[in-house]
Amino acid sequence: MNRRLYIKSVFGLAVAGTASFSIFKWVSINRAIVPADLVHKRDLLAELAELIIPQTDTPGAKAAMVQDYIITVMLNCTPAKEQNKFIDGIAELEDYTAAQYGKAFLKCSPSERKAVLKHMAKNSSGYSYKILNKINNKLFGKPFFLKLRELTVDGYCQSQLGATQGLAYDYIPHTFEACIPLLKNQKSWATK
Amino acid sequence: MYISDKNKQLNTYDAIVIGSGISGGWAAMELCKKGMKTLLLERGRDVKHIVDYPTATLNPWDFKAGLNNTMKDREIDPVQSTAYSPADKHFYVSDAEHPYIQEKPFNWYRGYQVGGRSLTWGRQCYRLSDLDFEANHQDGFGVDWPIRYKDLEQWYSYAESFIGVSGNRENLKQLPDGEFLTPMELNCIEKHLGDSIRKHDEHRLLTIARVANLTRGWDHRGPCQNRNLCNRGCPFGGYFSSNSSTIPAAMATGNLTLRPFSIVTEILFDEQQQKAKGVRVIDTLSNEVYEFYAKIVFVNASTIATAGLLLNSVSSRFPDGFGNGSGQLGHNLMDHHSSAGAYGVHEGYTEQYYKGRRPCGFLIPRYRNLQHDKSLDFKRGYNIQGHGERQEWMDKAQSIDGFGEDFKAQLTTPGPWTIWMAGWGECLPYFDNKVSLDNSRKDKWGQPLLKIDFSFRENEHKMMTDIQHTCGEMFEKAGFKNIDTFNYNKPGGSTIHEMGTARMGHDPKTSVLNKFNQMHEAKNVFITDGSCMTSSACQNPSLTYMALTARASQFAYEQLKKGDL
Ligand SMILES: Cc1cc2nc3c(=O)[nH]c(=O)nc-3n(C[C@H](O)[C@H](O)[C@H](O)COP(=O)(O)OP(=O)(O)OC[C@H]3O[C@@H](n4cnc5c(N)ncnc54)[C@H](O)[C@@H]3O)c2cc1C
Ligand code: SF4
Repeated sequence: MNRRLYIKSVFGLAVAGTASFSIFKWVSINRAIVPADLVHKRDLLAELAELIIPQTDTPGAKAAMVQDYIITVMLNCTPAKEQNKFIDGIAELEDYTAAQYGKAFLKCSPSERKAVLKHMAKNSSGYSYKILNKINNKLFGKPFFLKLRELTVDGYCQSQLGATQGLAYDYIPHTFEACIPLLKNQKSWATK
Repeated sequence: MYISDKNKQLNTYDAIVIGSGISGGWAAMELCKKGMKTLLLERGRDVKHIVDYPTATLNPWDFKAGLNNTMKDREIDPVQSTAYSPADKHFYVSDAEHPYIQEKPFNWYRGYQVGGRSLTWGRQCYRLSDLDFEANHQDGFGVDWPIRYKDLEQWYSYAESFIGVSGNRENLKQLPDGEFLTPMELNCIEKHLGDSIRKHDEHRLLTIARVANLTRGWDHRGPCQNRNLCNRGCPFGGYFSSNSSTIPAAMATGNLTLRPFSIVTEILFDEQQQKAKGVRVIDTLSNEVYEFYAKIVFVNASTIATAGLLLNSVSSRFPDGFGNGSGQLGHNLMDHHSSAGAYGVHEGYTEQYYKGRRPCGFLIPRYRNLQHDKSLDFKRGYNIQGHGERQEWMDKAQSIDGFGEDFKAQLTTPGPWTIWMAGWGECLPYFDNKVSLDNSRKDKWGQPLLKIDFSFRENEHKMMTDIQHTCGEMFEKAGFKNIDTFNYNKPGGSTIHEMGTARMGHDPKTSVLNKFNQMHEAKNVFITDGSCMTSSACQNPSLTYMALTARASQFAYEQLKKGDL
């Protein structure tokens, strides 16, 4: 089967999947979110982002205010479908934490937090086919963990602390040096 | 509208140029330098060099939502938002404000402002060769170009010497060398691929891109500081734009009148003289209508807009559009395809890196059908453009699992070397790929909407398949891993090289312009933007527009002096 046909047939599957969805789920996916729902989660998002990119010898996501970036991008630059998936993901995470540890995420110990996020990460790779995943992401939005991680990475690497300390930032390079030896502890360039 | 004689005098110039983008800027400069009082009409706002580049010196963190467009952007600008980001959005039109009709999907990317798309262009500058100028004649597709390489050679040199093009001489017949500044440099992986290509195929080579980025100070501009933020406008004047280069030069002569906010809606025909007498303009600030008059008119509104403007200029002599006796006006629309290519990863050179952001990639000049090759199932050819880099955080994030310290450590250090490359391919001139007007639908100035009907055909699709194939092969031979050959299947317009809607030719029955870009049917009208192109070749075309413009300006000036216009 050529690649295009393959994609098509996989797509057929995914569409069949949608049809059997309840109307309720469809509506809940496409409703516009209330900004306050996200803004209230600012502290939670800060801790989650910090788990993904922690403070080491360079600043972590929290110090780089990645939580604000996540909220801004979510509210202004993300389709309603994906916003909802994200909000639902937060709710799922909170429910899971409550069921597992009997307390709120922000009350959990570092190792408990890590375990919760690990659980969410596991939950986000439901399909083994790469292409099926792509289609699933397109129809329903990226799984919560992947979306959270993507936003954290984007926000961190483009923040002042992330770009200038977590990575190497060269505001005005002046010259281009095409092939030079890698330095010890060389960081990636923040921009290309 | 009543126009007194006095006003008429005030509104009369030696020359009018419509549009201030790459080709219009050149026309204005050339005509002004020859001492002609020139009116440059531009539908958009003024953009002054440096002062009107609001994002040029911003850091990534100055954009609160990164370089993501908002949902609102995507809703009101469904086409332009696929090209712009918050960093250069202000140099693109709004689709909501400037709608057009797509009979089939076609991305018409535009910048309505002084400088047009010279602000945002990719700066790649390549000469056409006789392989290109003779192509239509050789295989019978489209009409013959009325010029050959020797007609344009000196004008290429002239244009390059003025704008400043960096590049390497390679002595190729299919891609003539130019007047080059010191080339930019290839990085390790690009050199590696280049060495492998040279070793495996005597007809192929890989060279640094030829770009209008200055590797040293030039004409009071530059040098380029290797920031790779050119599409925001360059505070160092490190690349060529109308704003940094031709328009200031035209201004300096004292002969230029620049009039922004002026939509030219019609070219006016003088029945007695059988010539254009001037243009009609809507002032978008006052909504008033003006007429301006001149001895010659240069049309440089860009391919699709130029076609629309001429089609909209009807008179009893030209009921089907200005100078459209051939019926070719608006037809033969072409755009390069750049959808097919390959991506590969290389495991070597792990101890090498680079510093600085070179604002260009590499080029593998055309290697297909240099002579007619019977084994290939398509006509014409393509060149490969690409660039090599070590994977940085944007790409790496996708392939690392998990989160935490390990994830961070991997994310923030250079990944393996990779190359992305794709074929920029020739598109044949098809009569029914066309631009027309829909008189039943108007824009907010009461002008008919443009309708674009374009698709790539069998020849282009076969070429894309070949591109995937040869790119994959070159990677394989050079020891790349994880080779992914792709075809994005982007719609027409996506390469932003629209051309062909008022083609040059020998015969007034089958073409709109003669060999000097002069309208067959109205001798004082010259069209030197992409609409004049008789075939598309596969080279990025703007350098050719510049050379043709300079040549046509010289011709127009001489004709005028002789009293022939
Ligand atoms: C992102 C990008 C990358 C590109 N990369 C390259 C590259 O690497 N190499 C290359 O050769 N080309 C490249 N191009 C294409 C290049 O920009 C165009 O070929 C070139 O700008 C065309 O010049 P032009 O003078 O025909 O039109 P433009 O530069 O588009 O200018 C046309 C001007 O006319 C004005 N206008 C339109 N209608 C009217 C009217 N009715 N009245 C008055 N004014 C009007 C417009 O506002 C505009 O200012 C790229 C383009 C883009 C956007
Ligand atoms: S890369 Fe060079 S030309 Fe481009 S904006 Fe930077 S300094 Fe200017």
